[in-house]
Amino acid sequence: MNTGCHRVLIATFLCICSAVLYAAEPEPLGHLIEPGYTPEDAADEQGLWLEIKEYERSLNQSALLVRQAELRNYIEGIVCRVAADYCNDFRVYLVRNPGFNASMTATGMMQIWTGLIVRASSTDEIAAVFGHEIAHYTRLHSLQGFRRLKSQMASASVLDLGLTILTGVPVPLGQASALLNYLAFNRQQETEADLLGVQLVAEAAYDPHASYRVWNQLQQEENAAAVKREKAGVFSQTHPNSEARAEYLLQYVSQEFGPADVEQVADQALLNILNNHYLFLMEDQLDTNRFGRTREILVRHTKLGVKPGLVNYFFGETYRQRGEPGDRELAIAAYTKSTESDGSPPQTFKNLGYLHLKAGDVPLAQKYFREYLEAQPDASDRAMIEFYLEDQES
Amino acid sequence: MKFVKLIFVALGIILSGCTTTYSLVSPGAVAVDSLTVQIGSGWNLAPSTQTRSARSNAETWTKDGLLLDRLVIIPGVADGESLLVSRSESAALPVFRADMLPNEIEELVESSMLKFFGEGNSVVSSEGLRPYRFGDHVGFMFEVDAIVSDSPRYRGLVGAFIANNELYILYYLAAVPYYFDKHLVEAQRAIQSAVLNQ
Repeated sequence: MNTGCHRVLIATFLCICSAVLYAAEPEPLGHLIEPGYTPEDAADEQGLWLEIKEYERSLNQSALLVRQAELRNYIEGIVCRVAADYCNDFRVYLVRNPGFNASMTATGMMQIWTGLIVRASSTDEIAAVFGHEIAHYTRLHSLQGFRRLKSQMASASVLDLGLTILTGVPVPLGQASALLNYLAFNRQQETEADLLGVQLVAEAAYDPHASYRVWNQLQQEENAAAVKREKAGVFSQTHPNSEARAEYLLQYVSQEFGPADVEQVADQALLNILNNHYLFLMEDQLDTNRFGRTREILVRHTKLGVKPGLVNYFFGETYRQRGEPGDRELAIAAYTKSTESDGSPPQTFKNLGYLHLKAGDVPLAQKYFREYLEAQPDASDRAMIEFYLEDQES
Repeated sequence: MKFVKLIFVALGIILSGCTTTYSLVSPGAVAVDSLTVQIGSGWNLAPSTQTRSARSNAETWTKDGLLLDRLVIIPGVADGESLLVSRSESAALPVFRADMLPNEIEELVESSMLKFFGEGNSVVSSEGLRPYRFGDHVGFMFEVDAIVSDSPRYRGLVGAFIANNELYILYYLAAVPYYFDKHLVEAQRAIQSAVLNQ
């Protein structure tokens, strides 16, 4: 092995050691800013705010924003209750996206995906996610992350230049190390936000035990998924994984607030939201073509008490969409159950008609097609249904 | 030595079948695999390097550029195949089944477009499903609407039919306002002219 290689190995070792050292103990928890915070004189922070404000202007124009007042009021109400004195610092944007996510910027722009509402078993769980995001804001996490990455990348460039001169080999070890440090720092911030978030949730009189239930449910959904999501590598994860979060949150909450003393109960507010907006929320989820995940969500909604006519309609949709042997019968059973229950949408009749048409039961198919057109006389696919009615009659 | 390398790279590109430039599709009857469509004016055939999610026998044409408008012709999708191709194993692309009825093809298109624009970055809806005859084959048409994050909003017109257990699908997708209406008449004529080659 030549001297150059030795030097590269030593440098690699030093970088890895420094990466470990950077992942230091978390600071004591508490807010770092006062309500109504605006950037200090630092140019980098002001620049960051300007960039985000520009993005916020474009987000405001997005057709993906949910504008229904009932949904917005529900979400904004939870944010304000958890944020308490910081309520006016936030602008909340509810975005049509079937994934599970919420995010916060340094400026207080909060994005919440509709997939979060679909996956919640209670308002407390939604509050737990918001508590986490609000903690990111009051702990200035975005700004700290931005500054850390900037300073480490600058030092890393100098280190890389030195290494290149020493070894004659242009290997970006310093930058790789800086990136690892940043990701470790990011995970540390996530843990901080989790713990401070729990405090905020409890102070707002929401159930702090909801904080780990959220992650348990996400894990259950992942286990139920037929097609798993691609996982980030161990060193490239920006967040702790769901199991780890659920575990340390359970320990922390049990220690701080005692064991969960009540059964998890669905609140009427969340049920109203789901019942009143179910079709568009679940259609977005259905379009992802992820049977296992959608089914897991529907099972949860059944337990929650969402109108059976709605839940069974979507059970029918998922079986019909999957289309494996036996699914047609399962879909017919689910749609039929839907038509016998409260909340069944008119499309249930249409899809029953199509399935019976496939099964060769023309009279029954026609009966359902007619019921569909009676329930929805202005259906945009009326011509197609009438074609099948005429075609089968001729 | 460098020159030899350059030749090998050029040969590699040529032999791989990757086209990197647009070519003109002239007016008249145009065969795309087993389909023939009639077009009244020229379109630009997009190179395969610009349409990476397209099936190998599909063609994508445009008038003003792919961001603004596209006419996509997908011939012969067999049972169990998807309308797009993806390298990602977690994409969960929906697949065509030969026993699908029009409402299910409509959903297949919706879901495929959602995957095309990016799951979570778009909402795709459809309406106006109606019968339409493509030559000897009874098919159907419908409209789509795609709201895409950080992108124009798109409207589309879809025509499809099943023959010999395979799906033949043509769609026009263009930005609104302006571009959708600009080429709609011509695109609609092309879609509605589609027939299976004898």
